[in-house]
Amino acid sequence: MVQGQLVFVSGGVRSGKSAYAETLVRQARGERNIYIASGIARDPEMAERIARHRKDRAQDGWWTIEQPQQLSEALPLIRQNDAVLWDCVTTWLANELYEGFEQGSLCADTPGCMEQKWHELKNTIDSIRAKAVYFAVVSNEVLDEPLVDDTYQEWLGKIHQWLASRADQAIEMENGLAIRRK
Amino acid sequence: MRIVFGGAFNGKRKYVKEQLKLDSSVWLEGELPAPGESAVIAGLEQWIRKQLEQQRPEQDIIAAIRELAESAGERIWILTDIGRGIVPIDPLEREWRDVTGRSYQYLFGNAEHITRIWYGIPQTIKGDGRDEYLHENRG
Repeated sequence: MVQGQLVFVSGGVRSGKSAYAETLVRQARGERNIYIASGIARDPEMAERIARHRKDRAQDGWWTIEQPQQLSEALPLIRQNDAVLWDCVTTWLANELYEGFEQGSLCADTPGCMEQKWHELKNTIDSIRAKAVYFAVVSNEVLDEPLVDDTYQEWLGKIHQWLASRADQAIEMENGLAIRRK
Repeated sequence: MRIVFGGAFNGKRKYVKEQLKLDSSVWLEGELPAPGESAVIAGLEQWIRKQLEQQRPEQDIIAAIRELAESAGERIWILTDIGRGIVPIDPLEREWRDVTGRSYQYLFGNAEHITRIWYGIPQTIKGDGRDEYLHENRG
């Protein structure tokens, strides 16, 4: 089977990573442009922002799939020859790792929970890549400052390293400038 | 003297273990060797933090790093970037980033070779014979 291009784009907040990834996906000339969004609205401002982005993208010809968790659920919605963008790994990881917060049993604290999700994620990424002509994965640079949450950082580092090794191209965004590292 | 630098969980230790031919088998985490000893030094930022928690003044800390760096012996420093976030409110947290950043600047200035690791992908930022682009950029 011919594999689609897998591209990993990472950068700081407001580095232009999403806009750059959108350009890459558009240039891939897929039959449809699919946007998998993992953000969750936690306040009215965010809800408004998400709705606005969704509307902007729809006018621009994008199909949006809201998938805050369980990326595998987006898989059946993706067709052969789609060009796909996933934005982004950091929000997805937070949603998965802190799943069960209301019930007082975090996935992060449950042995094997995140390992299982990680295993699924790798399979899903490979499957999307196999189906789509182009798959851009966007993430955020948050490992250059000490955070309280070591578990989150460790998982993010592991996922990023895997993506960088798996991808055909790995790009670091620096204030709108794309630095191709692979 | 050689530096492998990058954010946390980016694969710096893995790179050193797999890619660099180590003459020295001494691997220290959050500790410094005696001056003159060869070693791989990882977790310098943790060592610095410990010193600050024990109220050791910055001058002393930097002097100890200098003395070691200028002594005989081959050392590889694995340095974790901790300085790209928001300036913290807590004074110790702030001082930690300040002293770590100033120590890194000193070490960067004196290293013969610096590799930056970005999720396992290495980039030479000093010592590849192109006379470090950093310095070129100074104009």
